[in-house]
Amino acid sequence: MQNNAFDLNFLYQTYNLLVYNVALNYVQNVEDAEEITQDVFVKVNYSLKNFNQKSSLKTWIYRITVNQSLDFIKKKNSQKRFFIFGKRNENEYDYLNASAFEHPGIELEKKEEAELLFTTINTLPENQKTAFILSKIDGLSNPVVAEIMEISISAVESLVFRAKSSLKDKLAHKYLEYRKNKK
Amino acid sequence: MIMEKENWIETVMESTNGITKVTPSKTLFSKITFKINQEKKVSPQTIWLVAASILVLVLLNIAAIKTQRFSKQETSSVYLSGTLNQSNQLYQ
Repeated sequence: MQNNAFDLNFLYQTYNLLVYNVALNYVQNVEDAEEITQDVFVKVNYSLKNFNQKSSLKTWIYRITVNQSLDFIKKKNSQKRFFIFGKRNENEYDYLNASAFEHPGIELEKKEEAELLFTTINTLPENQKTAFILSKIDGLSNPVVAEIMEISISAVESLVFRAKSSLKDKLAHKYLEYRKNKK
Repeated sequence: MIMEKENWIETVMESTNGITKVTPSKTLFSKITFKINQEKKVSPQTIWLVAASILVLVLLNIAAIKTQRFSKQETSSVYLSGTLNQSNQLYQ
């Protein structure tokens, strides 16, 4: 088992769904989620020798996936800001909200609402976004989320609560726009 | 209207319920192994060594150009002072 745990093929077979779907929840785009998944497994391959087993392998891989997803988003946003003389957009979340929404895991009849929800999630601060995605979308328990984020369980509960409140406030503002479009 | 708004917000908040896990493409693992093999071919140490070598070459070239310019100026001034000391006869 010890030998298998360090085999890339075994790790990929065991964790590819986990990594890919967490990445997909962050970027809502199949191509980008694949790129993040590649980066995660490359990093896992190189860092495995330094894995100190303080947490489980699964938790460690979750953590790498979250960090790689956040780094990917930051990198894409900074690339957009590089063009000084080009069309600069003030919205920091422009990369995420400009990319085509493509989440195959969402039911077709809920796609419109899900797209709006993810657009709003994308505007949350990183720690609230992570807590919400892992807890409410990925369905992980608070203790597991706490272990991944290396914070206390009460901190997770607080982050999820604040994320939900913030999302509801933002959606309340978007409701008027929704009604106008429906007419 | 408030109820309608609250219901709408709830609908949006619940829209990811029943989300299913998506399987990545079958070619993804081969892309990962390819990427790992590519990175093995060119190690970070090699890249730093090459960069340092290029920097040293550039600095050496700059120093050589500066030395060349300085010795050219010296040669010119030596030549000029040589020609000044010759006879003032224009036609010999």
